[in-house]
Amino acid sequence: MLRLTPILLVLTSVAAAEEKISFNQHIRPILSENCFACHGFDSKKREAELRLDTPEGAYTAKDGAFPIKPGDLAKSEVWQRIVTTDEDDLMPPPKSHKKLTQKQKDTLKLWIEQGASYQKHWAFERPVPSSKSQVSGSKSGILKHETLELETTSTIDALLSDRLAKDKLAFADEADRETLIRRVSFTLTGLPPTLAEVDAYLKDGNYEAMVDRYMKSPRFGEEMARHWLDVARYADTHGLHLDNERNMWAYRDWVVRAFNENLPFDQFTVWQIAGDQLPNATRDQLIATGFSRCNVTTSEGGAIDEEYRHLYAVDRAATLTTAWLGLTGGCAQCHDHKYDPLTTAEFYSLYAFFYSSADPPMDKNINTTEPYLRLPTPEQQKALNAATAAESATLKALDAAAQKAVFAEKTAAETQSITQVIFDDVFAYAAETRNTTRNASAWLNEPAFGAKAGKRVLQLSNGQFSEENITPTLTPVVLGDSSRFSVWVRLDPLNTPRTVSVELNNKRVVWGDGSVFTGTAYAQEGDVVAGPLPKRGEWTQLSFDPAAVLGFKPGTRINVVSVQQFGGTAVFDRCEVSGQSRPDKHALTSFVTWWKLMSGAKKNSPELPAALAKMLATAPEKVTDAKQREALLRFYLARIAQPVNDDLAKHRTAWQNALAARSAADLAIPGTFIFRDEEKPRDTFIAMRGAYNKLGDKVEPTTPAAFHPLKKTGSRATRLDLAQWLVAPENPMTARVTVNRFWQQVFGIGLVKTSHDFGSQGEPPSHPELLDHLAVTFQKSGWNVKQLLKQFLMTKAFKQASPVESNLLSLDPENRLLARGPRVRLDAEQIRDNALFVSGLINLEMGGRGVRTYQPPNIWEPVGYGDSNTRYYLQDHGPSLYRRSLYSFLKRTAPPPFMSNFDAPNREQSCTRRERSNTPMQALQLLNDVQHFEAARALAERVIAEGGADDEKRLHWLFRTVLSRKPDAKEFSMLVAALVKQRALYQNDPKAAERAISVGESTPKKGAAPAETAAWTLIANLVLNLDETVTRN
Amino acid sequence: MNPLFESNLLQTRRQFFGHSGLRLGGLGLTYAMGREAFAASKTQVHEPLPGLPHFAAKAKAVIYLHMNGGPSQLDTWDYKPGLQQWYDKDLPPSVQGGQRLTGMTSKQARFPVAPSLFKFAQHGQCGRWVSELLPHTAKHVDDIALIKTVHTNAINHDPACTFVMTGREVPGFASLGSWLAYGLGSESNDLPAFVVLTPTWSAKAMAQALFTRMWSSGFLPSQFSGVALRAVGDPVLYIQNPDGVSPANRRAMLDTLAQMNAHSFEKFGDPEIQARISQYEMAFRMQTSVPELVDLRSESQATLDMYGPEVQKPGTFAASALLARRLVERGTRVVQVLHRGWDQHGNLPSDIRLQCRDTDQPIGALLTDLKQRGLLDSTLVIWGGEFGRTVYSQGGLSQTNYGRDHHPRNFCMWMAGGGIKGGTSYGESDDFSYNIATDPAHLNDINATILNQCGIDHERLSYKFQGLDARLTGVERQHPIKEIIG
Repeated sequence: MLRLTPILLVLTSVAAAEEKISFNQHIRPILSENCFACHGFDSKKREAELRLDTPEGAYTAKDGAFPIKPGDLAKSEVWQRIVTTDEDDLMPPPKSHKKLTQKQKDTLKLWIEQGASYQKHWAFERPVPSSKSQVSGSKSGILKHETLELETTSTIDALLSDRLAKDKLAFADEADRETLIRRVSFTLTGLPPTLAEVDAYLKDGNYEAMVDRYMKSPRFGEEMARHWLDVARYADTHGLHLDNERNMWAYRDWVVRAFNENLPFDQFTVWQIAGDQLPNATRDQLIATGFSRCNVTTSEGGAIDEEYRHLYAVDRAATLTTAWLGLTGGCAQCHDHKYDPLTTAEFYSLYAFFYSSADPPMDKNINTTEPYLRLPTPEQQKALNAATAAESATLKALDAAAQKAVFAEKTAAETQSITQVIFDDVFAYAAETRNTTRNASAWLNEPAFGAKAGKRVLQLSNGQFSEENITPTLTPVVLGDSSRFSVWVRLDPLNTPRTVSVELNNKRVVWGDGSVFTGTAYAQEGDVVAGPLPKRGEWTQLSFDPAAVLGFKPGTRINVVSVQQFGGTAVFDRCEVSGQSRPDKHALTSFVTWWKLMSGAKKNSPELPAALAKMLATAPEKVTDAKQREALLRFYLARIAQPVNDDLAKHRTAWQNALAARSAADLAIPGTFIFRDEEKPRDTFIAMRGAYNKLGDKVEPTTPAAFHPLKKTGSRATRLDLAQWLVAPENPMTARVTVNRFWQQVFGIGLVKTSHDFGSQGEPPSHPELLDHLAVTFQKSGWNVKQLLKQFLMTKAFKQASPVESNLLSLDPENRLLARGPRVRLDAEQIRDNALFVSGLINLEMGGRGVRTYQPPNIWEPVGYGDSNTRYYLQDHGPSLYRRSLYSFLKRTAPPPFMSNFDAPNREQSCTRRERSNTPMQALQLLNDVQHFEAARALAERVIAEGGADDEKRLHWLFRTVLSRKPDAKEFSMLVAALVKQRALYQNDPKAAERAISVGESTPKKGAAPAETAAWTLIANLVLNLDETVTRN
Repeated sequence: MNPLFESNLLQTRRQFFGHSGLRLGGLGLTYAMGREAFAASKTQVHEPLPGLPHFAAKAKAVIYLHMNGGPSQLDTWDYKPGLQQWYDKDLPPSVQGGQRLTGMTSKQARFPVAPSLFKFAQHGQCGRWVSELLPHTAKHVDDIALIKTVHTNAINHDPACTFVMTGREVPGFASLGSWLAYGLGSESNDLPAFVVLTPTWSAKAMAQALFTRMWSSGFLPSQFSGVALRAVGDPVLYIQNPDGVSPANRRAMLDTLAQMNAHSFEKFGDPEIQARISQYEMAFRMQTSVPELVDLRSESQATLDMYGPEVQKPGTFAASALLARRLVERGTRVVQVLHRGWDQHGNLPSDIRLQCRDTDQPIGALLTDLKQRGLLDSTLVIWGGEFGRTVYSQGGLSQTNYGRDHHPRNFCMWMAGGGIKGGTSYGESDDFSYNIATDPAHLNDINATILNQCGIDHERLSYKFQGLDARLTGVERQHPIKEIIG
């Protein structure tokens, strides 16, 4: 099985006797793997004071013996230790479980014989342009676009071709046009070409124009963004413990925009690392800093602040080192890096750039954890300003009206009906509220189905239980005689809850199936089931007598009102308590009664002005200052009491409407997490062995010494200095690491395969000269990403046909040398988007909060914390089901199966390269997932409607729509046979056909008889499952 | 192992899996030769890594029963009769020793000792003291090795759960089950190598979360992730054909799919195409094998009765325990059962009763069942949680009620079967079950022991990650616990 010698080995460890041994290519990997752990950079772990990572260490004699004597095997102690038969002397020692192969020994031998010359690790040397290119001769500065583009493209081909020639290989022929356009389209947009695009390209054959067209598509930014979002570890939840939702999607949308606008990569870098420190930072520059807020966070009860502040800074520093420097910085968190020149102190000096962050160690389980940037459109800002002004004007008018109002305490009087509003368009004045999501209350403004009262309704939405708890503070609720509680409710027709309920002082009244609580944390004794579940889609008033139903006697104070739903979405409106009370005894009609009730309160509402708060807390009889009493009375009349005259009533209504309008304007404004520092930098220390509570020396923010020096703009280095350092011309890493990632994106595998690790433990590049050349020209192009990608796509290498002969396959299984075109399985998002696209179901709306598409039951539920707001998956309906995968909601602790099944990372940490596995779970998903099967039916419907009149035309149309090419004769006959078979099966079972075409939520079209559509659905399902369909050929 | 060599080997295997089978842990690849051919050849389709096992394995399979939330050692296995006289007295500061506490009790004014409410009695020939909460498990003490001094690094759930399953407190590392699947492959041709069950629970308190990272492959190739066997919806995701698609429709469709993919292979020569063909065949086989797996009708009434009244109710711990046996019987390498609801900060006595009622009888039955079928010798059963609980009461203490906070410094786990020496006990805690008195066992030692029983030297099973040879058991020296190995 191992009789072949694949290229990978050739690249790294085998050297023909006559070949000159290269330290970086041949020797370093061997030493790094086997020796550096004890004889490398880490001084604390160094044994026998011997280091083999530098020539000084290796050549200097110790106790008369040379570790390595260039050219002299006999006098090289290292060599003698490798070949000795004495177990005690043998290197590497047996207990290390490392063993040199015979080939590795041969290589080392040859190297010593040839003079044992060392090289600095390749990645730390500045890249130089290839001698093959004229760019090397040109002046520095940005080159003319076209010159560079053409030049680089031909240089890439020349360098690849030289390497191929060494193995007597050459480029394959160019792929046909159908293959090319599909390859380009997927590479640049993550979607297949349309039939019209294929036809146009077949006709004009203008490859470059075709490439340019896709680069201009808004889909381009979406496809580029999803690769970067893996690196940025972007997701829609916090990631630890409760794993609640966070608002970060504006960052995701910015990444899309940045690629579409071709933001130069150096700017792309600077904005994300330090956008907030740029002079007059723009909104986009601030949003971009969200990069360093994408890490997982916790708010677990009992978690220790210092520990998490430390962990967040570690993650941020390690992500930076991986994403830009291509180094695995995380190791140096605990000890000096064993293989690369990064000391623990240097790691913590990078960490120091992030340790003064202003975000709290505990995210509070909310979706707006500070620093949080609100993102109003100009219209939204205008609306908010206007609404705020209106609110304050109406309040002023109300207060003025209250000054003029005449009020006298009522004496004993007849009872009268008094109604107290708990909420309508706003909550009762100064009420405290808390809901299951822990986020702001979900008010819907002017919903399409119409509010019951006023303009707004309060929404509760959860796959299981959710509630809104309302605690009136300044408007105490005391039940009168014959009291009545009521609230309007409307159940969502698509996500209909199983119950709705109301709790007064923790006693619950339920409408619907009262048993739903059984076995949940919300079960409680004494629930009263008051009636059936209201009809969905209609406003219904839930109403009951608290005395009769819950046994609350008149005079009972209601401290907490809770409206609730279980298992769906419900909206509530106009919630109130009414009853017969004596006006001299009711808080809303008697100032003294109100005051007495309030003076017993444990704490006062923050709405209350401080001067009044103090007085209110004191019993009325103890406050004698008439002026003070008067001020409190006027406050009461304006905001609390039932309006005592028409003028006040009018002003009160105006103010409440203005309050609701301001709240609506406010809630309409989205926001995003951004990164910012504390004003005063936090002292930063080395965490000994990575332990946050064992602090070592203090460190200042700076960059590792192995690289070019950091230019500080002030006395203390800033993140902006760091960002500028990353993109400085002297930086050997950023450009290399970046071009390599794009290369990986386009060709399926990087020039450096370990795209996260360019250090000595990573793989050396397959084409070092090419990598350097690309790095240099990328910098010179002004870090032009679109140009770089176009250069790749214009190469002969990219345009090659992808079929592979078995001898080439055995020689180069991973296609590192590119003697054939790249052939890779599509990524998770591409596979789903492809099905949606060809079926015509896709909804190309861009941006916004993550959507909740189809997901099997019990993905979130078995794992989520009881109280998490992402425990119960509540699927969206309608167009949201067909959005591009980039916009689907990503819960880190239970990611969507369509992503994880196809190797998408769960975004708990930075990821620069995805696996491409091949499993039966994937097959099952593509066959049976409602998303895919519904797409097959929609595609079948398109076939019937658009594909032509007969089977032959339709099969061709179907095949071409999915694969951009015509089926060959064999494929065609297989498809015909399959169609005949499926047709016969469904004609015999029309009921099954009906069911098959009803899978999914989109309405089946009546283009043909059900059996016919069902048969075509199976054929579409077949074509969508072809290997070629899920492959970029 | 040399990563270059390994990646090569995998690549090479990929090309030639037609002859030898390709080891993929999560689910294996087979060439489309049909089931009978495999049965005839009896070869292990999902091969272990070369060189593995490192030595003869005692355990062929592992069943890991994880009590999520942190079960109280004081009320189950760590018998401390002397504590009765300490009722409501403060835990001596000398015992507390300035250890860090969670933010939930660090500000408590007092740390009153809460002796267990539950009676303990001696069981088995070994005379093991076991709480009355565990009458069924208690019958098996002579097959069980109890470890009373397990300790962990983390003090809160998220990092501790991550640690117990991946050996690290932060996300990103490979889970124990994934390591085993990666190293040893599977012996089943039509079931996953690593299966996870997340049964329902009865405790009233808000249950702590699970995290998919507890069974995900982390840095290992993603096919080694645990596959969830689910009680709601499809038992394995997407296992059922869509409504209106009969097996005949599906078979016809798959036949054409295989032909067309084979045709594609002729054209492109890419071995991934052949791999895909066999994945679809495996998927089709799973459509039969998974329903067969979860269909309990073939079990005898006696067996069902043994697991208790809830065994027929999908998603219960009892049903999961029986499924664990059925999986192991069919060649699955690792079964992880994660039972939630053990985080008893308050109302511990009532909640732990409910939790033990969920689990004790099924666990007893599982051990009996495995033994009766001759599977216990080759199946390692592990019971534990992410940490233990404090001897002092969190919140109010009364004669009938108390709560306990997280305690990572010493807690109990047990192992049975798979070459474990039954009737043994390892380590002792102090009189307050607050510190280790003798023989500490770090969770990494526990994991080293588990690997050891599976024929793996934990120091030699590594994977290149972030430039290091990452191991389940971390960088410190760890040892399998020799004293409990038979």
